[in-house]
Amino acid sequence: MKTTIARTLLIAAVAALAVHSIRAQSAPDRVKVLRAAAEALGMVRWSDIGAGTTRLPGIDVVNTMEFQGSGTVESAGRAVKTQYHVALGYNPPAMRVEMTRTGPDGGAAQHIIHTASENYAWDESEIGAGLVPGKGTATPAMAALHERLLELWTLPYGVIKAALAAGEKTTVSIEGGAPVMTFPLSGPLAGITVKATLDSNNLVTKVETRPDNPARVNLATQTEYSSYADRGEVLTDIKSPGHIIRRQGGRTLLDMEVKAWESNNPYLVFPVPPNVKAAATANSR
Amino acid sequence: MDLPSSRIIAAAATLCLLSAAVLAQEGAQARRTTNAPPKPSGATPRTADGHPDLTGVWNALGDNLNGIPNQIANNGLAIESDTTTRDLHSGQLIATFPRNTTRPQNNEQAERAAALLRRVGSNKPVYKPEYWDTVKNFDHNSNEEDPSNNCMPAGIPRAGIPSYIGQTPTYLIFIYPGQGGLIATQTMYRMIPTDGRKHTPLQELDGTYTGEGIGHWEGDTLVVDTWGFTPNTWFDQIGGYTHGENMHVVERFRREGNTLTWTATVEDPDFLLEPWTTTPRVALLNPRPNALLPESLPCSERDLSHLVTKEHH
Repeated sequence: MKTTIARTLLIAAVAALAVHSIRAQSAPDRVKVLRAAAEALGMVRWSDIGAGTTRLPGIDVVNTMEFQGSGTVESAGRAVKTQYHVALGYNPPAMRVEMTRTGPDGGAAQHIIHTASENYAWDESEIGAGLVPGKGTATPAMAALHERLLELWTLPYGVIKAALAAGEKTTVSIEGGAPVMTFPLSGPLAGITVKATLDSNNLVTKVETRPDNPARVNLATQTEYSSYADRGEVLTDIKSPGHIIRRQGGRTLLDMEVKAWESNNPYLVFPVPPNVKAAATANSR
Repeated sequence: MDLPSSRIIAAAATLCLLSAAVLAQEGAQARRTTNAPPKPSGATPRTADGHPDLTGVWNALGDNLNGIPNQIANNGLAIESDTTTRDLHSGQLIATFPRNTTRPQNNEQAERAAALLRRVGSNKPVYKPEYWDTVKNFDHNSNEEDPSNNCMPAGIPRAGIPSYIGQTPTYLIFIYPGQGGLIATQTMYRMIPTDGRKHTPLQELDGTYTGEGIGHWEGDTLVVDTWGFTPNTWFDQIGGYTHGENMHVVERFRREGNTLTWTATVEDPDFLLEPWTTTPRVALLNPRPNALLPESLPCSERDLSHLVTKEHH
C-alpha cells in the first residue's frame, strides 16, 4: 500500500514538474528578457491599494520624466561645456532639450531649446514659446525631427517601450555573455534598427542605432549608460543612469553626468505651437 | 518504509501541493485583471417630471481616493486584460505584464506604485507656459502645498461624484463626505437649483469652494454649470492643478440603471490654453435601499509634521 502511494505521488510530482517545464520552455526568451529589463529599471508596477480583492496586472508606469546634468556636447567639432535640462514624455512621444553652452574661451553662454513632439520639431526662444501671443518665438525645425525623436527612443525606457511595441519583431540573443535585444523602430523612425545590450543586472548599458538607408548617417548612433540609481527627490524606485555618452562614428556627441532625474511622472506638456503645425502642413503639400 | 522513501514521498507531496497552489493562484488572478467600470443593470428610475432620478447613495465602489479599480480608471487607464492596457485619452497601448507573484507589496512599494499609476495617464490639462513650473512644483511638493491636505474642502470638480444625491423637481442636493488620513478633507454639500434661474454675474460673487452651481437637463443628462470659485483649491485629485477665480466648470451626470457616469470640463482662460475634460468616472449605486452615509470623522491633520521625504499620493 505504501509503495503504491509512493509511486502515485512520484508520478504526480513528475507530471507537475513536466507541466512547469513545458510552460517554461514554451515561454519565449524575448518575453522574459524584456520583462526582466523593464523590471530592472523599475518600470513595472501594480497597485491594489484600497481593494483587497483586486489583482491587477503590472503596468509600464513611465510616461513623463525630467533630468538635469552637465558635461560636454559637440558643436562644430569641439566639445563645449554644457548644462543640460531635459523634459520628456512617451504618451505622446515628446522631448524638450534645453542646453546652456559655454565656449572653451569662456565666451557668452548660448541658450538653446530643441523640442519635438509626435510628428513636429521646433526650436524655442524660451520654454513654451509660440503658444501665447507675445511669449517668445517657436521656429519650425522639421529637418531635425528624426534625430530628436531618436534621442527619446534610445533612452533606456524608450528602448524597452520600443522593444515591447515591436512584439515578435524583437529578437533576443546572447553576445559576449550579455543579453542583446534587436528590434526595428516604427512611426517616424521606421527604417532604423536598434540593438540594445543589457548588463548582468538586466539594465540597458549600450544602445546602437543603424538606419537601413546608409545616407541617413546622422541616425547611426552609439549610446552608453552607466551608474544607475533612483535619482529623484520624490523616490519612485525607478532607476536612471548617472552617466550618458553618445557617439557617432568616432565622434563623441555628448558626455554627461546626470545630477537629478525626476521620474514621478511630473507635469510636463509639449503642445505644438500653431505656427509649427502650419509650417509642417504647408511643407507637406 | 525506509527514510529515503519517506523523503521522496514528502518532496513529491510538497511539489503536488505547490503545483496545485500555483495553478489555483493563476486561476484566481485570471478572474481579476481588469479595472473596467461596472456595467449598468436594472431600469433607470424616473421622477414624475420624466427626468432620470439620480437620488441615492452612490458609494458601492468605495470612496477611497486610493481605490482600485476606480482610481486607475479615473486617471485614464483601461486595464482590459492581464496583457492589455489602453490610455483612454490618447488610445496608446500601455505595456502590461501578468502578475508573477502573489506576495503583497509593503506600504512603501505600494505608495510609490500608486503615485506613479495615478500620474501615468495622458489626460492632463494644458496650462499656459508661465504656469508649467508652478503646477509641476505644486505636485512635487504636494504634501505641503495641496490645499486639501489641511482639512480644507476639496472643492469642485476635485470632489468628483457626490456620495449622496437627493433630487426634487426644482433642486438637487449633493453630499460629499470628508476623508481622513493624509488626504484630509472636509465634508461638502451643494444645493443645485434646476428651476431655470440664471447665474449671478461673476463679479458679484464671493469665491467659494463649491461655487454657484446651476443645473439643467439636456435630455437625460443633468448638466451643472458652476462658477464663482475661490482659487484656493486644485481641480483634480492629483497633479497640482491650480486655477484662478474665473474658473468655470461644467459637470455632466448620466444615470443608466444602477450606474452614474460623471465628467467635468474645466475652463479657465487665465490659466489654461484650452478647456480640459476629466476622464469619465463611474459610480455604482449602493444596492441597499435603506443605505445611509456614515458620519465623517472630524478632520484633523496629524501627519504632515512627521513626513521626512517628498513621497506623496
